[in-house]
Amino acid sequence: MKEIQRISPVEFKTSPLKTEKRNNWEVVMEYSGEGGGPYLVDLSHKPRFDLQDAGLAARKPFGIGIPETFGSSVLENGILVNRMNRTQVSLYCLTGQDNTGLPDEPGFTDVTESTIFIALIGKEVFSICEKLTALDFMNPERKTPFLYQGPFSHVPCQIVTLSRDKETSGILLTCSRGYGRDMIHAVLHAGEEFSLKPAGENRFTSWIKNL
Amino acid sequence: MNRFNHLPTLKIDTAQKISFIHKGKKYYGAKGDTIATALFANGIRIFGRSLKYHRPRGLYSLDGESSNTMMEVDGIPNVRCENTALKEGMVIQEQNVKGSAENDMLGFLDKLDWLMPAGFYYNVMHKPAKLWPFAMKQIRKAAGLGKISPDFKMPGKYDEIFLNTDVCVIGGGPSGMMAALSAAKKGLRVILMESRPWLGGCFEYRSREYQNRLTLHERAHQLSKEVESLENIRVFTHASVVGTYNNNLVTGFQVGKQKDVFDERYIEIRAKSVVVATGCIERPLIFDNNERPGVMQTGCALRLAKTYGQLPGKKAVFSIGHDLGLEAALELHDLGLSIACIADIREDGQDPALLKKISEKNILFLKGWVAVKAHGRKLVKQVSLSSIDGLVKRKFTCDLLVASAGMTPVTGPITVAQGKLKYDTHTGFFLPDVMPEKMYAAGRIMGLEHPLSIETSGKLAGLKAAFDCGNCSIQEIGEAKKDLENLSGPVRGTKLVTAPVKGRKSFICFDEDATIKNIKQAIGKGFDVPELIKRFTATGLGPGQGGIPGHNLPLYVAKYQALPDISIKPTNVRPPLVPTFISTYAGAGHQMFKITPMDEMQRKDGGVFRNIGVWQRARYFSSDFSCQKEIENVRTNVGILDGSTLGKFRIYGPDAVKALQRVYVSDMSKIKEGRVKYSAMCTDDGCVIDDGVVVKQGENDFYFTTSTARAGQTVEWIRYHTRYDGWNFALVNLTDSMGVINLSGPNARKVLQKIVDMDISNEAFGFAEYKEFKIQDTVPVRAMRLGFMGELSYELHVPSSYMKSVWLMLKEAGKEFNIQNFGVEAQNVLRMEKCHIILGSESEQRTNLLDVGLGFLWDRKKADAKTVGAVALRQAENDQTRLKLVGFKMENNGRVPRDGSLIVDTKVRGYVCTARNSFSLKEAVGMALVEAPLAKTGTRLEIFEDECGDHRIYGKVVEMPFYDPEGKRMKM
Repeated sequence: MKEIQRISPVEFKTSPLKTEKRNNWEVVMEYSGEGGGPYLVDLSHKPRFDLQDAGLAARKPFGIGIPETFGSSVLENGILVNRMNRTQVSLYCLTGQDNTGLPDEPGFTDVTESTIFIALIGKEVFSICEKLTALDFMNPERKTPFLYQGPFSHVPCQIVTLSRDKETSGILLTCSRGYGRDMIHAVLHAGEEFSLKPAGENRFTSWIKNL
Repeated sequence: MNRFNHLPTLKIDTAQKISFIHKGKKYYGAKGDTIATALFANGIRIFGRSLKYHRPRGLYSLDGESSNTMMEVDGIPNVRCENTALKEGMVIQEQNVKGSAENDMLGFLDKLDWLMPAGFYYNVMHKPAKLWPFAMKQIRKAAGLGKISPDFKMPGKYDEIFLNTDVCVIGGGPSGMMAALSAAKKGLRVILMESRPWLGGCFEYRSREYQNRLTLHERAHQLSKEVESLENIRVFTHASVVGTYNNNLVTGFQVGKQKDVFDERYIEIRAKSVVVATGCIERPLIFDNNERPGVMQTGCALRLAKTYGQLPGKKAVFSIGHDLGLEAALELHDLGLSIACIADIREDGQDPALLKKISEKNILFLKGWVAVKAHGRKLVKQVSLSSIDGLVKRKFTCDLLVASAGMTPVTGPITVAQGKLKYDTHTGFFLPDVMPEKMYAAGRIMGLEHPLSIETSGKLAGLKAAFDCGNCSIQEIGEAKKDLENLSGPVRGTKLVTAPVKGRKSFICFDEDATIKNIKQAIGKGFDVPELIKRFTATGLGPGQGGIPGHNLPLYVAKYQALPDISIKPTNVRPPLVPTFISTYAGAGHQMFKITPMDEMQRKDGGVFRNIGVWQRARYFSSDFSCQKEIENVRTNVGILDGSTLGKFRIYGPDAVKALQRVYVSDMSKIKEGRVKYSAMCTDDGCVIDDGVVVKQGENDFYFTTSTARAGQTVEWIRYHTRYDGWNFALVNLTDSMGVINLSGPNARKVLQKIVDMDISNEAFGFAEYKEFKIQDTVPVRAMRLGFMGELSYELHVPSSYMKSVWLMLKEAGKEFNIQNFGVEAQNVLRMEKCHIILGSESEQRTNLLDVGLGFLWDRKKADAKTVGAVALRQAENDQTRLKLVGFKMENNGRVPRDGSLIVDTKVRGYVCTARNSFSLKEAVGMALVEAPLAKTGTRLEIFEDECGDHRIYGKVVEMPFYDPEGKRMKM
């Protein structure tokens, strides 16, 4: 291989219809036979950062205020900020050309390579989720967007629920990169009865625009 | 058999035939049939034989309370045929028979019951002692129902589902539905679990008037429609609860319908509050031959007709103890069943309206009478009835005996959740006395029989559950309570447990063939409480999960011992409350393993993978598991290994060094830029748990590695040991972020040089040095010169997404040298030859840093209190009783011992950690942990291998390392 290429930990057996080169990633914009939803979208190429600081209250990553409550998230300017605990925040860059660099401030670590990053969108999302986790996505006490740090198919994950509104329901999930193959298999298997199909980034982009 | 097709309660469609095979012969059932009802409709009365005495067994209940109708279906043993829907083409076989169920060659055992008293296997066949091993084998062979081979693969699709809800209602009868409705109307999320395939419970098959000319089954239909119309009630039918636990965790399983994607699925529910509305089952009446095919419970007989459209017999005798028995007799009479007699255990207390109807239909009705014996060798042909006091007897010819002592509440979900039961003299029930927190009972389980009382109790329980969720007021609960108080309360129940018989053939437990006589024998031996009797006689230990003996056992034990009050409690029930396939618990069974970025490439290169902890790793690259070629290639040429599973972390912040100082034994303040620092971590006991390298990548910014096994715990470990210090540092787990390529062998430098634009000569990039560079100005690499395998070696840490590119570049660059992959086993041998240890292989939980010869890592000048494990190491330093790691070679070029073999003389002196044939040294070598006196060079080691008998093999302690003791090769 002469060309340097970045390989996503997520691999679908479906053939890509449209792809786009971005920062050495080959991003699939559309797959063949995506169907009518629900969709599983690989976002592993999207930049993700870890921020740790004992004084988080004073920090404003990318100009966004960090939620005070642990487990709360905020989505602003295409960046999702998730409050993990007293000292730690995870940041997902959801829109744009995926060239958001590591902020030149102390406390940030680029963790894009650490995890797989997938979106599960469509009205049956939570029926799929309940086959894989005991986390309560429909808990009325939680207001979207919110973060769960817990097991999904027995694997520790960060899961952000962005919407619970039937047709536009959707979650984002990250877990250790090494689990990519088995996590995708488990999610697709659980979603089989609901016709869950792999979808390209276009589906995600139009979905998040409509939130 | 002609089947009814006009009843509004029917759940079968006789127009749709389903074929199945029973004992090689084709039969037809109707859509909606269970296996048991289809067999019964085809005239099959004997389903199998009993466990011990091989007595004929048939349909007794329809809810799978005993093993009577367990059969082998499509190769799966012990299928509960009463609860299993008939499917096209099913192949059904009898179980526990020698010959056939009709003519079982072991049927003679029934006459040898005198040879097998309660607990006989504790008393007989133990003398002479030689006899017991033989006898034990025979008993084990005879025990258990059904046959399964060790490599049996369960057919079918299994799934799982994890639910959260506000209120979980167990039981979809009228009280359960009312509870669900009242909670749901308060805006709560409700889950309703019903074990039958439809809602309705005790209303669903009965035609008695509910209110205003509405029948009970019409009312059931009305309620179920309302339940199903509410979006916030999720209904799971054909879903049995198998356990209830702390914090209202409810577990169960659901049987799939034809259109479902699963055959069975495990269900786990987390609820804020639980309503138990499981109703009652019938308490079996105990008399001689009370399990003979042709004897069945009231509900079974009635539901066979009303739900499955078939009469349970031609001519029947009823021996019952409750009004449902009278109601069933009347309904079945109207459907064409001839009734010879109804014997009611009760002298009085019957519903006058029912008595009037019985009289109008000229049915012989005997008050205070009971069945004492069912006659007929295989099937019921006659029944003897007796007055309760045994003074008068009468005999009736019949083919059906409908028998039931009374009702008994289904309290399993309450008692497994640690609720307490207490005997109630009015109902004769063991009623819930102390309920688990946020769990409420409703309906017939409380002894209620009046339809309105049943429903109102459900409503009350639903409101109480809603109150727990903060959605109901005390006032509303008070009103519902008042409503219930104004309705009929619990009905008086019968106290009779057994007919006036001696009990030699009166079975209290069908599954284990335990009789009343056996219970008496156990009590005679001093086992005076049900828990002990249960174990001594095996009563309730069968696959029916105690459904038949249930509350009869404590009631009989109390009665037989003439206890003044029934303080005796029912035996403990444990999950699963109903028999469950292990495959159902396994669910979808997704295997969740981690793979490295190089997984696919290595598989293509012929890698043989093994599960190692959470990872799948390439252990070998050929079918030669000694890995000779892989090893020799590294020693003489260049090999490439995927080491991505190593733990990798970033630690940074003003106090990062302090944190490193705390957990590592070395002085971590002396880490130099551009150098690799090797060190180890210990527990407070000084036991070594991890080793790895640390490099400095900036001011107060370090990158370190851990062993694969410890990667998952490292962040918590460091946080735990610094929890009181308030230090300002951050930790990030980068294990999956970075892949690791290990390039080893004398040609490693030549290969690497071809893809990097910098001088990597030994002078420019020496042993134990660290460098950061980019490949093609794009791929950032962290490179270390290490020597784990004892050769010139580079460890390249590469962002995971770039791993494939870099791996392929190296393979391309190495082509001219014939670069080869090597796997974990080759690495294991290579490092063993060099006597580099792997924690977990050369150590176990008790092995400390000094035992394995890593004492040189410990900086003794650091204050002990600052280093985890230092205090203990100080104490262990002069301890001569500890094991020491030694190297050994086998005597006379002997074969290699197995890992874990013991080092012995007159007792165990140590064990072999790792030993292999060394292709570099051309002999078998290994490392062992041995007692200090054996650690001296030249000591002969006697090695005991598993199952070696008197044969020992011998090795000799030698100096370590075996290979390149000066360490020149890794520094070249």
